[in-house]
Amino acid sequence: MQLFRSEEDVVDWSETTGIPIGAVFPPEQLWELAKRWYDDRFDFDWKRRPVDARQALLHQAGLTGEFWSLEG
Amino acid sequence: MTTSDPEIRLFVYESARAGHIPAPLDVARHFSLTPQQAADSFQRLQMADALVLLPDSPYIWMAEPFSAVATDYPVDSRGSRWHGNCIWDALAIAALVGSHCTIPVSCPHTGTALTLETETETLVAAPGVVHFAVPPARWWDSIGFT
Repeated sequence: MQLFRSEEDVVDWSETTGIPIGAVFPPEQLWELAKRWYDDRFDFDWKRRPVDARQALLHQAGLTGEFWSLEG
Repeated sequence: MTTSDPEIRLFVYESARAGHIPAPLDVARHFSLTPQQAADSFQRLQMADALVLLPDSPYIWMAEPFSAVATDYPVDSRGSRWHGNCIWDALAIAALVGSHCTIPVSCPHTGTALTLETETETLVAAPGVVHFAVPPARWWDSIGFT
């Protein structure tokens, strides 16, 4: 999970490293996900959220489609 | 009274937010436990996905989103520095810390300096694009590479 200068740099990096491109999206979407995903970490009775709740958080950040499915 | 794993987990997180991820010895001293009791709690918390320990070690690697080791994803605010495990975690730390944060990173391909800035609930500077190489269904196959 890295921040690149541009989408073109992701493509060049992928060709250089041989690591396939996964998903590319703007930092604003990741910010929305980051705020929600970890907002329970200071709850006393924290437990890992069930799959459907985690999937809903991804959807709320606009991260949808096969790549983002937790059912894999 | 026995110290519970949730109490220890919360202590770890409060310590992390204050800038220091504790060792078993720190937890043992705080709760009047033996270091082994604290290490056993860390192991149980790892089994519950609440912590990630360094391989073959009693020491915490990640109390997500906080990293106990320095990474390429620092978060600076009010004279303090935290480290995230990736760009996502760096943004999450900024959200948990609140106030004004800067995340000075470099493009992994070109080395170009890229600095994200947050202000409480708002991302005020957001250069670049995010790349996730691994789909979320496989994030826990290798937590160190996502």
